[in-house]
Amino acid sequence: MIKYLYTLLAALFLSSGLLMAQTGEISPKRKQAIDSLALEKVKDLSKYISIIGNKKTPYSEATRVMDRAGELFAEGSEMGVSSLNHKDVTYYKVRAYFEHLIALNYDRVKIQWYDIHYISDLERQPDGRYVGVITIYQRFEGESDDGLKYKDTTKKDITIYVDRKKTQIAGRTVEFWDVLLGDIRVTETSQ
Amino acid sequence: MIVTRFSLRQGISVLVILLVLVGAGCKSKKAAMDVTDPAAEKAKMEQEAAMRKQQEEETRRKQELEAEARAAEAKRKETEPYRKLDTYFSAIANASSLASANSSISEALSLFASKDTPVLIVISEENGQKDYDRPTTIGAYLNYLKDQKKSANKINQLQFDSAGKITEVELVTKN
Repeated sequence: MIKYLYTLLAALFLSSGLLMAQTGEISPKRKQAIDSLALEKVKDLSKYISIIGNKKTPYSEATRVMDRAGELFAEGSEMGVSSLNHKDVTYYKVRAYFEHLIALNYDRVKIQWYDIHYISDLERQPDGRYVGVITIYQRFEGESDDGLKYKDTTKKDITIYVDRKKTQIAGRTVEFWDVLLGDIRVTETSQ
Repeated sequence: MIVTRFSLRQGISVLVILLVLVGAGCKSKKAAMDVTDPAAEKAKMEQEAAMRKQQEEETRRKQELEAEARAAEAKRKETEPYRKLDTYFSAIANASSLASANSSISEALSLFASKDTPVLIVISEENGQKDYDRPTTIGAYLNYLKDQKKSANKINQLQFDSAGKITEVELVTKN
């Protein structure tokens, strides 16, 4: 009887593995690792934006960091920029947004992202890609020597794309999870 | 003449007796030696065996110590690049200034065959199957540590060329 039970369990285990392989599904442990990876990429972007915006960052460093930050995004992605003084949200291509950030007319700029979390879990799409949404809160503080000050907090939603890709490393094929950030939409702006 | 013959007979007898006595003396001495020799011989043999054993023990111990030293040296040589690289990762991530971070990056790059040396980051491993993040290069990864000010990955494996330079890095996420 126990023997049959073991056989049944083994068969179930194998069939679930085969089913996962056939449907391209991944185990919860692997899925969790991908979720964490995507969250980490958003945190990385947060740090890059803080460096780019910081007026103390040398231009050469800011340019290099812009390149690195740009690599986090899918081609053509846009970043929403809002202001308490304007009703509309302006959307810039990511690179243009970074350049806009560098050119801000303040002597001191502090940008901090916090409360970074998923509002829509990564879900597998029919094309095999995983898509989800991560929300962040951005605290912006700009200050000029002449006394000009501006502060706001913006809530932003970032679309996340995760794709299985292959590359050649030292003559062998390596499969990896490519996390790319999509558009960053402004959903709220407050003081 | 009788005296002489007698004396000669007597002399021969005395000589014979003397020879018998000497012979008996030697025999008894030999017998006596035969009685004491085995013990002495045994003691001597035991002493020699003990000395041999001690020498063998010392040689074995010496060989063991040498082997241990060789193994430790081999392990040190094997782990040294790991330790060094790990130290550089920490130094870059915790650098107090941009200049200090850049200096550590330059030093760290001397361990590599090229700044384009591939870096693979394992984000999970299950049933022998590894999931990787997008591969990067060591130049980019060291700058990443500088920018993010965190060293969130540990060194899993390094590959070397014949000159002892690192040709591939595999990291694994710490969580």
